[in-house]
Amino acid sequence: MLTLLRDLRRLRHTVDLARPERASSLAVRHVDAGSCNGCEHELTLLSSPYYDLQRFGIGVVASPRHADVLLVTGPVTSRMLEPLRIAYDAMPEPRRVAALGDCALGCNVLGTAESIVGPLDAVLPVDLRIPGCPPTPEAIAQALLGLIDAAAR
Amino acid sequence: MSGEAYREEIVAARDEGWRFAGLHASSDGALVRTLLARSSGATRLQTVVVQQGSVPSIVDLFPAAGWDEREAHDLYGVDFAGHEPLRPLVDHDLRLDRWTVPVRGRDAFQVAVGPIHAGIIESGHFRLHVVGERILHLDARLFYKHRGLERAAEGRSLDEGLAYATRACAACAVANGVAYAHACEDALGLTPDLELARVRTILLELERMWSHLNDLAAVCAGVGLAAGNNHFAALTERARRLNARLTGHRFLFGAIRVGRSDLTLHDDDVSAAAEEVAALRTDARRGWRELRFNRSFQDRLPGIGVLDAAAARRLGAVGPAARAAGLADDLRAISPRLAYDGFAPVTPERAVGDVQARVEQRAVELEQTFAVLGRLLDRRVAPAAATPGTHAQPIGVGRVESPRGATSCIVERRDDRIERLRLRTGSYANWPVVAFAAVDNLLPDFPLINKSFELCYACADR
Repeated sequence: MLTLLRDLRRLRHTVDLARPERASSLAVRHVDAGSCNGCEHELTLLSSPYYDLQRFGIGVVASPRHADVLLVTGPVTSRMLEPLRIAYDAMPEPRRVAALGDCALGCNVLGTAESIVGPLDAVLPVDLRIPGCPPTPEAIAQALLGLIDAAAR
Repeated sequence: MSGEAYREEIVAARDEGWRFAGLHASSDGALVRTLLARSSGATRLQTVVVQQGSVPSIVDLFPAAGWDEREAHDLYGVDFAGHEPLRPLVDHDLRLDRWTVPVRGRDAFQVAVGPIHAGIIESGHFRLHVVGERILHLDARLFYKHRGLERAAEGRSLDEGLAYATRACAACAVANGVAYAHACEDALGLTPDLELARVRTILLELERMWSHLNDLAAVCAGVGLAAGNNHFAALTERARRLNARLTGHRFLFGAIRVGRSDLTLHDDDVSAAAEEVAALRTDARRGWRELRFNRSFQDRLPGIGVLDAAAARRLGAVGPAARAAGLADDLRAISPRLAYDGFAPVTPERAVGDVQARVEQRAVELEQTFAVLGRLLDRRVAPAAATPGTHAQPIGVGRVESPRGATSCIVERRDDRIERLRLRTGSYANWPVVAFAAVDNLLPDFPLINKSFELCYACADR
């Protein structure tokens, strides 16, 4: 089983799959790298009836191995650096990284220098920036839908 | 005070009915201060000088001091004589045997969960020791989100310090902010006027309203009841939209100030808010009735994650979790700086202290919140201030009932500068209680037990 998974992962990293003409879904893995929990609370409501983002094919998946996008919140604490890297390394290509909220973007971060290594783009290549403290569910939804549209073009 | 006298004082205080409410080391690690509180709301600080790097532990007298002493050791280098073994808490020691409790025996094995969880959940690690599906012991390793907020606040002005307390946690931003403001005002000798007490109480209850609605949604999600989850998630969204209409922010950020309030709400704003609160009350009741009569939901709740009153008392449990176990402690009933006139804590008739009791407790307290908001949203809200009334002092204490329980904030100052900020939230108090309540339960029930406490990681980690 583990061998199969490892082989599959190697394959996904090396094979250059042609992009589908129209992307119709986005599998998101969320990683809290030290947030105040505000971004998480707004993210949770994206599946509420007011937004229902699943209808656009956007869903949160349990493992980074199944994810197209790594959605990272928080200023990246020193203690979350390694788990964050492990999650990123586990993702298949093509993969995207989204910085969710001002902390991940390095704005107005509070804390000590030894506790925080962020912002996110100091650690991972960031493809999508979603500002806000925290970003509203609308802002998160728009940004993620934009990612689907960009992939379709 | 010397170590021996300190312990004698703590023993005497305990015997007189004082209870543990927090412990922290001073910024330079030279002093340790223990906060004690009475059910009347009175507080006192017991300070002891660290000698040769050590003070006597009080964890045998107050088990609730366990995390505080471990944190003071990790962050301020203080040893606690008698606290054996003094396991790392905030420090993330790589050696498993340093931070976990040894569990040995036939078929005992470990299930490691986190720090990254499968859903949209904050980061934290749980190491569950199990035999088969039965949980023998849980070592929770949090502080993955530790940002050093208390340390970073040192040297800041009292006004600037507010951001460090509020940004610790979005879900408790108002509670932490009011606790901080109260601590500063206590130190400055200021007393809130009636309008300031009223506006802060409104903001606290708006926070509790969305928080409890969210918690009920989360429990439904934990059981897999999508309809219930959607119902209460929609109400949570409406509550946050109301927050934004009233204060310009869905989590009420920026609405709390030290020594004053700048919030203005006109008659129209207030009556519209009162109407929406009444509508939310109607819809929450309808949703709750559905949950009460949904067998597949109700069957999952009783008899798991039991926390009895004696354990709740011993471990220093707070908030809805403690009240569901039968402890009638609620700081709202003893908050002269707020406008909870006549508020009485509720406890269940049969205080079983299981997941069901905690879920029902939230539903009942949601009703109280609707009632408090209905009473206070009766006229316009004007800017207000705290006025000089008591003696200024170098240390101030503020205590507030957050949606998760008693939150204590201590501010040590020199003039207008923070020397030490300590924020001990309801979540911080209750995390060790979750670990206790998980024992003897089945592993698949742990997420539900955890959700029934619905604690924040952010305001424990800071």
